[in-house]
Amino acid sequence: MTEEKIVVEVDEDLEDLIPGFLQNRNTDIGKLQQAADAGDFETLRSIGHSLKGVGGGYGFEKMSELGASIETAAKGEQLEEIKSCISALKNYLQNVEIKFV
Amino acid sequence: MSATKKTPAIKILVVDDDEDILNLLEKWLVDLDYCVKRAASGLEALQLVSTFVPDLVITDLFMEGMDGMALLNEIHTDNPLLPVIMLSGQAQIPDAVKAMHLGVSEFLTKPVEKQKLLQTVKDNIPCTRGPEKLSQFSGSIVFESKVMADVMEMAALVAETDVSVLVTGPTGSGKEVIARAIHDASKRRDKPFIAVNCGAIPEQLLESELFGHEKGAFTGASLKHEGLFQAANGGTIFLDEIGDMPLPLQVKLLRVLQDFEVRPVGATRTFPIDVRLISATHRNLEQAVADGDFREDLYYRLKVVPLDIPDLMDRPDDIPALVDHFLERFARQNKTEKKSFSADSMKYLGKMTWPGNVRQLINVVELCATLSKSKTIALGLVKKAIQEKPVEIQTLKEAKQDFEKKYLISVMRISHGQVANAARIAGRNRTEFYKLLNQYNIDPDDFRNKNTSG
Repeated sequence: MTEEKIVVEVDEDLEDLIPGFLQNRNTDIGKLQQAADAGDFETLRSIGHSLKGVGGGYGFEKMSELGASIETAAKGEQLEEIKSCISALKNYLQNVEIKFV
Repeated sequence: MSATKKTPAIKILVVDDDEDILNLLEKWLVDLDYCVKRAASGLEALQLVSTFVPDLVITDLFMEGMDGMALLNEIHTDNPLLPVIMLSGQAQIPDAVKAMHLGVSEFLTKPVEKQKLLQTVKDNIPCTRGPEKLSQFSGSIVFESKVMADVMEMAALVAETDVSVLVTGPTGSGKEVIARAIHDASKRRDKPFIAVNCGAIPEQLLESELFGHEKGAFTGASLKHEGLFQAANGGTIFLDEIGDMPLPLQVKLLRVLQDFEVRPVGATRTFPIDVRLISATHRNLEQAVADGDFREDLYYRLKVVPLDIPDLMDRPDDIPALVDHFLERFARQNKTEKKSFSADSMKYLGKMTWPGNVRQLINVVELCATLSKSKTIALGLVKKAIQEKPVEIQTLKEAKQDFEKKYLISVMRISHGQVANAARIAGRNRTEFYKLLNQYNIDPDDFRNKNTSG
């Protein structure tokens, strides 16, 4: 089964910034997984919060939504919900296709 | 490098602990030719505020260490007029309200849209340094002198913010005119401007006038009354003679300024208000604080930005322009031809001490314009006009005698001309008291009730 590509339109002015941006998000995934394994809700909340703030600005609305969900779930210490958001985020990053407009 | 027609770049400081946000904001702003510096923490930002001297700051709310709110506070301690735009991941109303009243220019929620952010930046860049804006602001205020130009520049700057302004200056110097001009130049200009003279309203009434009362809150309160703070909601309230406000009411005012809500007399609930406060006094509030007549905490809250209007005597350069302005206004209001002062009479006006300040000048100008039969107002008439309103300072002896006479008359009135009673009230023996009455030609008979005695 092949995952469907998710096309995201990004302002072409931001082209130079995107590689670094995506790299930082992959780092976030690693940190989120670690924190989830350790049950460190404070770190989860904080990363979720910053994802929420940063995603939409670059054009990745879905990322902001997932960040917000992680933040909320971390406040309620809902680990299962968090894990499912992390995997959704991972899936999103793997399949996102950027179209500069 | 070729010369460009652009003015020096506007400097913007962006503060966030998230590198990607900094990258994004920097990119957006640099594309529009803003000069951008970035800071990854509140402390770093503070450093840059003094070295980079930005025209505007954009900061995140939640940051490790010093957060956006603390940064805002620190920035405004030394730079009360520096616009700060705050970004927050949380759209929490209390944060936004608190930030607005700490003087934040705009509160935006993250993720922030590019257009929204850039528009907000554009709206908040101070453009008062340009002469255009200043002349526009001070259109209603006439001045030529450097001292007033400085005051007006400051006033034009504060007009763009919501910070509290304390206008000081002698009676008649135009404190309300300045307050009104600040309101008219602010974003609140379409909302009410309400001026209250705290010294003119009895203490018991002042609280209900300002904050309102519920029906039946006290004897005579037969109807619910909305206070002036609520009436000014969204606009500006101007509290004149704030130095005369009684201490108990000062506490209540302070609470209003801290919580942004009012509780009418007799009410069980509070009402949120959004009012910009401009206060004024001719008294030396610092002295009043030292004497315990004025609350220190309230004093500091009122005078976030102090504006001191100088005596007319200290800015004689303004007199010709003011005179011309008042002559024109007089002619317009009375539908008559505009008159003018002769050269020597204008010179004479410039040398007066004007203890009544601009208000006295208006009186003199209008009196002269009314009485002058010719188009040019002659020196003789000016001298007469000023003499008719004696302004000379009394000697201490004269002032004491003046007071003594008034005092004796009021005691005689209270005692209905009964000298024995009057003397007792005044704490003097009868013989002495008679002597005093004689000295001032006061006849006890004038105070006795003629109907019953005759």
